[in-house]
Amino acid sequence: MALVELRGVSKSFRKGDETITPLDNIDLDIEAGEFVSLMGPSGTGKSTLLNLVSGIDRPDSGTITVAGTEVTGLSRSKLADWRAANLGYIFQTHNLIPVLTAYENVELPTLLLKLSSTQRRQRVELALEAVGLSDRADHYPRQLSGGQEQRVGIARAIVAHPKVVVADEPTGSLDTETSEQVQGLLQRLNKELDITMLMVTHDSDVARIASRQMVLDRGKFLERESGSIGEGEIGRGGIMQVGVKESGAA
Amino acid sequence: MLLPWEYGVRNLARRPMRTALTLVALATVVMLVFVVVGFIRGLEQSLTVSGDEDVVLVYSVNSEENIENSSIAARTPSLLTASLDGAVKRFGITNVSPELYLGTRVKTDEGDGGLGLVRGVTLSTPLVRRRVKLTEGDWPGDGEVIVGRLAAAKLGSSDDAMAIGQSVEFEGRRWQISGRFAAGGAAYESEIWCKLGDFQTATKRQDLSLVAMLLSPQSSAAEVELFCKERTDLELRAIRETDYYASLQQHYKPVRLLAWFVVVLVSGAGIFAGLNMMYGAVAGRIREIATLQAVGYRRRAILISLVQEGVLLAAAGSLLSGVIALTMLNGMAVRFTMGAFTIRIDSVAILIGCGVGLLLGVLGALPPALKALRAEVATSLKAV
Repeated sequence: MALVELRGVSKSFRKGDETITPLDNIDLDIEAGEFVSLMGPSGTGKSTLLNLVSGIDRPDSGTITVAGTEVTGLSRSKLADWRAANLGYIFQTHNLIPVLTAYENVELPTLLLKLSSTQRRQRVELALEAVGLSDRADHYPRQLSGGQEQRVGIARAIVAHPKVVVADEPTGSLDTETSEQVQGLLQRLNKELDITMLMVTHDSDVARIASRQMVLDRGKFLERESGSIGEGEIGRGGIMQVGVKESGAA
Repeated sequence: MLLPWEYGVRNLARRPMRTALTLVALATVVMLVFVVVGFIRGLEQSLTVSGDEDVVLVYSVNSEENIENSSIAARTPSLLTASLDGAVKRFGITNVSPELYLGTRVKTDEGDGGLGLVRGVTLSTPLVRRRVKLTEGDWPGDGEVIVGRLAAAKLGSSDDAMAIGQSVEFEGRRWQISGRFAAGGAAYESEIWCKLGDFQTATKRQDLSLVAMLLSPQSSAAEVELFCKERTDLELRAIRETDYYASLQQHYKPVRLLAWFVVVLVSGAGIFAGLNMMYGAVAGRIREIATLQAVGYRRRAILISLVQEGVLLAAAGSLLSGVIALTMLNGMAVRFTMGAFTIRIDSVAILIGCGVGLLLGVLGALPPALKALRAEVATSLKAV
């Protein structure tokens, strides 16, 4: 059984009089340890899919199972508990808590776990070390650069040893050099710590770091092997012209 | 699991000016609550301690509740002691106090003054008015007066103007102050006492306002009441002193109700101050609140943290006001129609003031917190 399983998932939104269906009866399997990147034009439902997998949004129909738990059947509070134990979330805008230091930001998810203070400290220190920010532990977000903030965000996402880490445009707000550092870090975490990752990106170069690259368009997945997505394939309709394997029941 | 305590504390320092202004607003509201509750408690205390269970007052049946309007015959004390044996007798002295009580214009040496309460008394008065204690000076002789602890406040003059050796003018005569007295917060503390005979001469009256009798444990106020009812020709009425002041409490009920209404209104204003601050604080943290939910914090934990912020600020405001109220407000004299009393910041006032303060914190924080938590997490994560 795959670590992440989506079966017949649909999600619609109302925009004025119009109903938009970014996800239309889709299926998806992500195996443990996989690094999946998800690309697609704006408004195609990439972030929606991420939010569904992480349980902060609910599908109109279909089931989502992560690490054996059907998240679609959980109550709001159970979902919060489940996220604390199983999911790490990396945001495009870092979303650090400005009044907490880097250490305290990373510590936040561990406060939700049953850990001793020693275990908690060890985990936070290890996570900060993994992202190379041990020496910035006492700094507040305003005292960090954009890249450092994102690395703290990554440390926060992995500190609870989640089953899956979802990343929504993790390099979207970074300059090229910092973006490359963060890409390297994500790859390393996936390979060295065997963390399963699902990453949404607009950038085909960033998408290439994933072991499996998928493109979402018109409610369907188009899947390519690692490193094979070209710039021209991203765009509404464009991907339909290349020889890609379609997945999904729709 | 709750959010770290530091999160709420440090959030208060995020917008220091707004937090400081809200703190001042909340502290002001709580201070006003302290003033009003202290006023009510002082008034109640004054009326409560003024009564003595063992003392019965005999005065004119025609004066209704107002003893100042009472006029009874000068022979009433001897008539009462001859007809009733309920009064305490010690060393051959019957503990009965004939008194002439009047509200009259009193002027001090400094030229200020106002409507004062003057009581003509005898040497037996302190035997009946057992709370009264001479704190300074001597019992008044001819042309002398002793002044209560709050008499200056009642007249609106300074304590210096009412010091021993100074003089006051009323009923066309100058009276030298020979002493000062206290009465444990009782209403007499705002009065001026002089010799009964002197006062009768000055006012050209031979009658009395009332007779106060200290009853022995074997007798009861009912006996005196019965006597007054049977002797309709005397047109007297008797009432236990505690009942008299209890009836005054009823008389001042509208004032107390009004004061409580002010407490509610002022608290309402305080809630708006809290709401304003917390709406502002939460509005700028929509994304942050969504992030905490995405990390795995339950809405309840975030709600508690936001309420904690409001309560912390309100607690600081309450503490600030409490300290000011206790050090500067407590014991402050207030002029009132019945005399003067002191603002009383007692445990009840502290409890109500701080309770209102904390309530402001909770009620001010809840609506904006609930509004923020109702927003869709997925949308809020990308809020600016």
